[in-house]
Amino acid sequence: MEATYSDPQLLSMLSNQMADAVERIGSALVMVNGRQRQAASGIVYAPDLVLTADHVLEREDNLTIQTHDQRTLAAQFVGRDPSTDLAVLRVNDLGLTPAATAADPARVGQLTLVVGRPSSSGPMASLGIVSAVGGPLRMRRGLLLEQYIRTDAIPYPGFSGGPLIDGQGAVLGILTTGLISGATLAIPTPIAWRIASTLAQQGFIKRGFLGISSQPVHLPEAQRAGRTQEQGLLIVRVEPGSPAEAGGMLIGDILVSLDGQSVTDTDDLQPLLMNERVGKTVPVEVIRGGSLHTLHVTIGQR
Amino acid sequence: MIVEAMLDRLELPAVASARLAQLVDRARPCVVQVRSGWRGAGAGIIWRTDGHILTNYHVIAASQRGAAIPVVLADGRTFAAQVVDHNAALDLALLKIAAPDLPVLPIGDSTRLRVGELVFAIGHPWGQTNFVTAGIVSGLAIALRDNQHQIPYIQSDVRLAPGNSGGPLLNVAGQVVGINAMIAGGDLSVAIPIHVALERFLRV
Repeated sequence: MEATYSDPQLLSMLSNQMADAVERIGSALVMVNGRQRQAASGIVYAPDLVLTADHVLEREDNLTIQTHDQRTLAAQFVGRDPSTDLAVLRVNDLGLTPAATAADPARVGQLTLVVGRPSSSGPMASLGIVSAVGGPLRMRRGLLLEQYIRTDAIPYPGFSGGPLIDGQGAVLGILTTGLISGATLAIPTPIAWRIASTLAQQGFIKRGFLGISSQPVHLPEAQRAGRTQEQGLLIVRVEPGSPAEAGGMLIGDILVSLDGQSVTDTDDLQPLLMNERVGKTVPVEVIRGGSLHTLHVTIGQR
Repeated sequence: MIVEAMLDRLELPAVASARLAQLVDRARPCVVQVRSGWRGAGAGIIWRTDGHILTNYHVIAASQRGAAIPVVLADGRTFAAQVVDHNAALDLALLKIAAPDLPVLPIGDSTRLRVGELVFAIGHPWGQTNFVTAGIVSGLAIALRDNQHQIPYIQSDVRLAPGNSGGPLLNVAGQVVGINAMIAGGDLSVAIPIHVALERFLRV
């Protein structure tokens, strides 16, 4: 065992495997031409579908991609979600195998590569580690990203829309450097793939709203009106003409649940207002005057 | 299975670090400091045991024609170098000092570099001597000079600063694969592949 400890082959193996990882992701990594300046990157995530960053598409027609085997193909705009900075393109007869996704979530300290295809001279890569895995993160339009990954690897110009990969070349996340200027941020693969699949189906992400402003408040045991939760959301504003107003919500109500799900913090609310609940009338429980009331609110969309 | 069991017991970060330290120890005596110009001057690679030194042209470009250029070896000895040859388009220069039996680095095959492979640089950023930085090959591209000459170059995420120019970019076998030449956009390092130096400069 001691003899292998200083085996010079091991550093070479590490080096080769990182180059293999870049090569492996390379065939699913495309260049995306959708803006005037610097081209960007995209990743084949499903047959004939490419996931890229929203901010790199300055137009929705006359889009092209370039593949690892130097084919330039027309790409159709499918959908975009500016809130998470993701967009989906369809490329007919693309014929490329979708990228492999990492089986395990990113770990802080894990070796990672960021890769992109900013030009036709081949893939580019930079080495670093996973610096942080965190969330939720508040982003544009009040959206909450459940989880994000940060890395110290350098995202070179044109890397937006490209992947953050592990040592096997499997995708850990999608780089969306346009989100928070200066910070290398990746949206974890499960979230990015989920958004992509919704975009492929309907072209946009439905995000519902109630039309309230609220703040978390502590609920003393005597004022819980039979609920077990220690916090609720005090309604401090109800927008005129909003779904909340139509449903009878009042300033001073303490929101404790929505559609059967407990609400204890402002961050709890947004995930409950997504997709299938949009447009639906759901029961909303509030504490008003010390007792529990059930209102019926139709979640709006904006 | 036996091999996997052995690998499990190895502390890979320690193994990789020990190997890298060994490569650096071997390479350092073959890297010189070229004291001309400004901002920590530049670096150079001992090219032949007879005192030929390879560096960037821009490191010595500001020197007076015919003037001796001070070159400091890793052991601290200083020699006066003369410029033997240069190529401004490739940004390469060959110097000669009167010192025999110098150590030289093995030469790698830069035509076989792969994006993602580990590389490291030795130089004197901002005058800090024999400073080592590591990273990977970030890209392999081709520049067009004067609208006619195609010059391949190596992009890497290895951190470089003024003073690294002319120093070696090495692979995990400790072989020279490039000559560090410049920094693009603040964080992308650019090196001239050693095969370009061999084919277009040193053998002309």
